[in-house]
Amino acid sequence: MSLIKTDAPGRKLLLMGNEAIARGAIEAGVQVCAAYPGNPSSEIIGSLSQVADELNIYVEWSVNEKVALEVAAAASLAGLRGLAAMKQNGLNVASDFLLNLNLTGTKGGLVVVVCDDPSALSSSNEEDSRAFARLADLPLLEPSGFQEAKEMTRWAFELSEELGVPCLIRSVTRVSHARGNVELGELPREKRLARFDTSKPILPVPVVWTHKLLHEKLQKCKKRFETSGFNLYRGPEKPQLLILTSGAGWMYALEAVSNLGLEDRVGIVKLGTTWPLPEGFLKEQLAKSQKVLFVEEVDPFLEANVKAFAAQVQQEIGPKLFLGKGSGTLPDTGELTPDHLIKLLKEELQVSYEPRPASYIQEALEAASQSAPARTLGFCAGCPHRATYWAVKKALALDGRDGFVLGDIGCYSLGMGPAGFFQMKTLHAMGSGAGLANGFGQLGRFGLDQPVLAVCGDSTFYHAAIPALVNARYNGADFLMLILDNSATAMTGFQPHPGTGKTAMGETVNPIDIEGLCKALGAEVHTVDPFELDRTLEILSGLLQEKKGVRVLVLRQECALVRGKRQGRLFKVWVDQDRCLGLGCGCNRLCTRVFRCPGLVWDASSGKARVDEAICTGCGVCASICPASAILKEAS
Amino acid sequence: MLLEKDPWNLVITGVGGQGNVLASQILGQMLVDKGYLVTIGETYGASQRGGSVMSHLRVSTRDQFSPLIPEGQADLVIGLEPTEVLRVLAPYGNPGTMALVNLRPIHPIDVIAGDSRYPQLQDVLEKLKKLSSRVWILNATAIALEMGDPLYSNIVMLGALSALDLLPVDQEAFRSVAQRLMSAHRMEENLAAFQKGKLAVREYEEN
Amino acid sequence: MDQNRGLGGLESLVMGQGLCTMCGACAGMCPYLEAFKGRIVKLHDCDLAEGRCYAHCPRTTLDLTALNRNRFGSEEIPVGLGFQNRILMARSLDPELLQRAQTGGVVSSLVVLALEEGLVDAAVLTQRGKDLLPSGRIVTCRDQVLDCAGSSYVASPSLAVLNKGPWNGQERIAVVGVPCQISALEKMKSCNLLQDAPAARRVVVSIGLFCTWALSYAPFIDFLKQKLPSQVVEAMDISPPPERILRVRTPSGTMEISVDEIRPFIQPACAFCADMTSELADLSVGTVEGEPGWNTLILRTQAGESLLEKALAKRLLEVKPLPSAHAEHLVQASMLKKRRALEAMKNVEDKQCGYLLADSRWLERVRLGTEGRQQ
Repeated sequence: MSLIKTDAPGRKLLLMGNEAIARGAIEAGVQVCAAYPGNPSSEIIGSLSQVADELNIYVEWSVNEKVALEVAAAASLAGLRGLAAMKQNGLNVASDFLLNLNLTGTKGGLVVVVCDDPSALSSSNEEDSRAFARLADLPLLEPSGFQEAKEMTRWAFELSEELGVPCLIRSVTRVSHARGNVELGELPREKRLARFDTSKPILPVPVVWTHKLLHEKLQKCKKRFETSGFNLYRGPEKPQLLILTSGAGWMYALEAVSNLGLEDRVGIVKLGTTWPLPEGFLKEQLAKSQKVLFVEEVDPFLEANVKAFAAQVQQEIGPKLFLGKGSGTLPDTGELTPDHLIKLLKEELQVSYEPRPASYIQEALEAASQSAPARTLGFCAGCPHRATYWAVKKALALDGRDGFVLGDIGCYSLGMGPAGFFQMKTLHAMGSGAGLANGFGQLGRFGLDQPVLAVCGDSTFYHAAIPALVNARYNGADFLMLILDNSATAMTGFQPHPGTGKTAMGETVNPIDIEGLCKALGAEVHTVDPFELDRTLEILSGLLQEKKGVRVLVLRQECALVRGKRQGRLFKVWVDQDRCLGLGCGCNRLCTRVFRCPGLVWDASSGKARVDEAICTGCGVCASICPASAILKEAS
Repeated sequence: MLLEKDPWNLVITGVGGQGNVLASQILGQMLVDKGYLVTIGETYGASQRGGSVMSHLRVSTRDQFSPLIPEGQADLVIGLEPTEVLRVLAPYGNPGTMALVNLRPIHPIDVIAGDSRYPQLQDVLEKLKKLSSRVWILNATAIALEMGDPLYSNIVMLGALSALDLLPVDQEAFRSVAQRLMSAHRMEENLAAFQKGKLAVREYEEN
Repeated sequence: MDQNRGLGGLESLVMGQGLCTMCGACAGMCPYLEAFKGRIVKLHDCDLAEGRCYAHCPRTTLDLTALNRNRFGSEEIPVGLGFQNRILMARSLDPELLQRAQTGGVVSSLVVLALEEGLVDAAVLTQRGKDLLPSGRIVTCRDQVLDCAGSSYVASPSLAVLNKGPWNGQERIAVVGVPCQISALEKMKSCNLLQDAPAARRVVVSIGLFCTWALSYAPFIDFLKQKLPSQVVEAMDISPPPERILRVRTPSGTMEISVDEIRPFIQPACAFCADMTSELADLSVGTVEGEPGWNTLILRTQAGESLLEKALAKRLLEVKPLPSAHAEHLVQASMLKKRRALEAMKNVEDKQCGYLLADSRWLERVRLGTEGRQQ
């Protein structure tokens, strides 16, 4: 049960950045919240969905981020406060709507939270979404800590309502997924009633008028930002170096300055309102020092904008030495850490600092490389994707025409590595596998004779693959679509989706039938349980032989973690030690060396494989692959 | 309780699925309840699928520190898995760092598949002792398995931590937080796990 | 770096060099190699330093000196047709076998005899399946032998079934195969990589066929399908020179195709083969030019002689001497194949004789084309 509903103003809780954002929205009286799961944003709507009933708010896991934003925007247009949350890729998906909504304007406060993932710790790409604020001419706030995340979110609704535009909040992994002290505020007492004003049509054209109006709103926003408490300075009156930072950079800068004892030599300007720039405030700060260091991630967003502004007011503030990504002082890709800044400041300000002797570093590195074996990611024990990729590998090898699988984002993305036997060959955005397959599936006329396959998950199917399949059937693309239905949005934490039969608010609904949808399109549709390896191989091989049109194969088997919570193992599985061939010719440890399920352990001392009962989930698939029939299973 | 230094930095490390995040959350809330400023940074996302996980805890009376510990500044590493402690000491350890280690190995897929070897536990402990000022050990997983579920091991480790007198955490503080954060029907077992950890921990001396 | 003698070595030395003849000796033993629709498919990587696949393969190395010594007790290999006791003409006296068989029905008759007399418990033959796909088959009775009667012309990985079984470990086995398969069989007999003795060691008689080349399955079938769209092929036959016509029988009639049209589908690996008459078999069987209905029969070992004796005693076969002109001609053809093989190998990386291990005198005699029959 989530803490974010706690009715105790003044109480101090340890909250995740995302929970703090959710709490801020609650305190602001939000009534409609929508999102599609994506790390590092998932917990915002995740925690709101847990308290939705009690707080009488509507929370939804939408099928994709564009719809999520539209849902939240509808609330705004009906006079309520709405919130949409997403990761950076989600903002890309929602951007077409956002870039119309900015021109039409909003009514009730609408806050769009985008959580970026610098260094792509759990993403396919790295992206700095702040660019959308400039692109869309929208106000942008960046929280630098946990209390601030709550306060900013609450204020963002007010700001949005006052200006009549959506307000963007941009967070990053190190704020969203980190936890810190948050003091709770008051819970709202009133609920608004929804009503849509039908007297005024809402559209973004004529842009000569709406675009101008938007710019006027932004000017008004600038004035509000000038006096915002989210922008502050900490340091001496005349610092030798002025750090200009936003977001997580604030915490790193504080840490670095504190570590090196530079509190009276280095000043830190924290910008919380980062677009449009609070120009008066900035001018004042820039005057403090000739040397300015920009600390932000990932792109030089602040840096470029402030440098442009500085050029404009050069007469007033004088020439500056700007350090940052442009000067090569800080890396221009990846996330920042306190260590980047410590190293930089140490050199720049000639401070000695050695937290540990060089000999320790050497010894520790050696110890780790010798005695801490790498942990590459793989499928969980009992994962149906392992079985699917095994069958795909064999089917393609037997087919012999160098067929390939185009994929996208989900647990099954691990199909690009050893866990999935290197079967997946491309990875881009949600639904891109099916999209690319549409293109490859038309290249037969140019001599492509390799079988084309695409793979997507159940959640991804609803999110993005359906239009691609419509296109495939309509334009006659030749490929085999594999839909891996494990009844879960697994990678992000098992949020419900249209196929699971449950909503964010816990209601039971009729699941949307994947096969039915595909059949209605006119595609040839089959279903198989990937745990039945032989049958799966047979169907796959047959479908590969067909050359025309789009064929759909739904591979349906529950995610091992979902099944584990529900019912436990299907089989008791063990290895007959006498029959096991181990390293011998005829086996060469096929199960541990190639199949690589973590439930199977290679015992080097006995030269045999055995099942680790603590890890095995009892799916029984390994019993089908053992060449000596040494892996046995018994229904449990 | 005054901290020996401020901020006091703790890393809880293990393998995805061991309950690393929950342990850090419980510990963090215990300290917030005692009036400290606590920041916890986590690296997870794909960690469920067999990868290493790390939680960085910053405990302070003066400021909200960053969710990432700077290089070489860990004061204590709690390892739910032995080799993960070594992995963490490389970037974050220093000669004064202390370690609390659960002795039960978890083999990476790489070892299972024969691409690498899992070291002898003795070798790991000796390396740990050389790289730390003090090392405490216990087999938290064995205790948890005796209680019927390996998932209790992270609570066992919290109990062990409480015996070391490094942070103001005790059974009462744990109970108060557990009531808020954990399900009621396992309360007795969780309290028992905490207590068992406290009694089972012992210091490791090299031979 | 030591040569890997497992799948890695097999891939680099044989598959990667275009030397694989689809004999099937490497398949049917493990999850890594499978004979499938006319190809040997590698399903996964295997990193064993030594494997049966490599040891069995007649193209990793073929130590002619050692093999001939083991088989015939002599290291001096006669260059014409290999070791031979005698060479005859033969044909079956069983009308049913004659009708179903390719030419003289000699192979089918000998296998049926061996089975019915209990000399062997099972035989490994080649059958044509759906879409003309040939594969090995373990047979135990006359009807099954008849099912397999008739030549394939398409390379068949028949040895895979010898590997795979199922066997109970006691059976005595007969094998019928083309020269590369007979050579592989000899290597398989002496392979000691597993504890249990391989089924190959229980092969008590091997019957080798004459072979100049074999067709690759997939391209040949594509060609036939284009020539005969949606027709079921019932039987196929290539008439001997000088005619050399491929006759394809379907329900609607027989189509004649010049052999020149199917030359593009000859396995490239066959160009490297120096054995036309299965020189390591117990007995070898082929056609007789200009004499349809008769087979050439070469007897090489005691086992071969013994089988023929029984067949004659049972009046299953009749034999007569092979006219010397025919024998001469056969030797010329055999020598020509050897010389072509050596040429082909020299053209590839300037190797002396590639995978063949033979002494320099043998090489010399092949090049000069001297010496026909054994003294």
